[in-house]
Amino acid sequence: MRWFIDSMLGYWILLLAISMGTAAAVYLLWLKQAAFSG
Amino acid sequence: MFDFVIAGIHAPIFLLVLTGFTVGVVGGFIGVGGGYMVTPALIVFGFPGYMASGIDATHIAGKAVISSIRHRQLGNIDWTLALTMVGGTMLGVELGVRLLNYTKKLGIAGVVLLACSVVVMFFLFLYTQLETRRAHKKIEEAAEAGRTVGRELKTSTLHHFFQRIPLYPIVRCRTARVVVSMWVVVLIGIATGLLAGFLGVGGGFIRVPSLVYLIGATTHISVGTDLVEIVVSGGYGALRQSMSGNVDMMAVLFMIVGAMIGAQFGSIATAYVRGPAIRYILSYSLILATTGACLRLIYVLTGQKIELLSFLAVVFTLGEMLFLCLFIVSLVVFSVRHKQGKRVPPWVPPLVVAAE
Repeated sequence: MRWFIDSMLGYWILLLAISMGTAAAVYLLWLKQAAFSG
Repeated sequence: MFDFVIAGIHAPIFLLVLTGFTVGVVGGFIGVGGGYMVTPALIVFGFPGYMASGIDATHIAGKAVISSIRHRQLGNIDWTLALTMVGGTMLGVELGVRLLNYTKKLGIAGVVLLACSVVVMFFLFLYTQLETRRAHKKIEEAAEAGRTVGRELKTSTLHHFFQRIPLYPIVRCRTARVVVSMWVVVLIGIATGLLAGFLGVGGGFIRVPSLVYLIGATTHISVGTDLVEIVVSGGYGALRQSMSGNVDMMAVLFMIVGAMIGAQFGSIATAYVRGPAIRYILSYSLILATTGACLRLIYVLTGQKIELLSFLAVVFTLGEMLFLCLFIVSLVVFSVRHKQGKRVPPWVPPLVVAAE
């Protein structure tokens, strides 16, 4: 776990996973539903 | 939820403010308009494609003004360089748009655009990443040897070649500390403008590495100077889009509110880091945008049938904004912690300067 902070590559992967996970969750749980209507 | 009458959709206000904020942070920090992120995001939010492009151009111009003011206060703008380049940039953009229209007539615009984006961005990512890693290592070695290193360190020597071209008139860019032929600056403006016009973006992600590696300006000066170019090119784009009725001003207003705060933060954040840190974030931005464009290219080439690719492209577009914003914020936090003598990851000290 320490590697994710102490290595730049690890930190990159950790932030990327958090960001992509959040984006996927927001899209699937909210944006894809009827949040917007034309 | 807000009823955007001109765009003809309902969308939550805070989502637009948040998008403006994240792109504002990234734009203020690495000197890009963020068009390659905002347009796809707005389409995901439900805005029609032409409207997304118009809103994007208008908000970019507004945001670049805010970032430029802040960068001017930080002394990051070389006006001689910016004004010399602007003519070439405008000419290049016009040529790029004409080239785009030509490929549209041939019916291959979509695929050509995406393929060009992938190749250009991937090449820039590779060069920036490799060079910045070398610079990072050099700073670490200097620190181990007890030598002090300034805010900027580059290992590329490409700019020596361009600075030696003896074509008059020669311009002296005092802030950037660069002496170079005016024609070199104008030609680089045309080349970067052409790519920007053809790819339909502001071109910051092409212009910043060009200013750093070809002209030889420092990363901070390149970011500030590029933002001045974006004010001009973005302003022109905003005017053209508004005249064509492609802009929903209420959407622009909400995005600008977020961008105003984000751009201030992103610009101030540059004072906490060394040049290589900005180049790292720029290269991360490039590889994520390349991956997103690659996914869209495969989606188009496979007849737009594989829904998973479309989903991944959307997630990448939203995720990369969040990722870049988080990375920039964490660099500032690490910089402050480093100054206070608290523990930071070992890769951080060479990338940050003492917070002022």
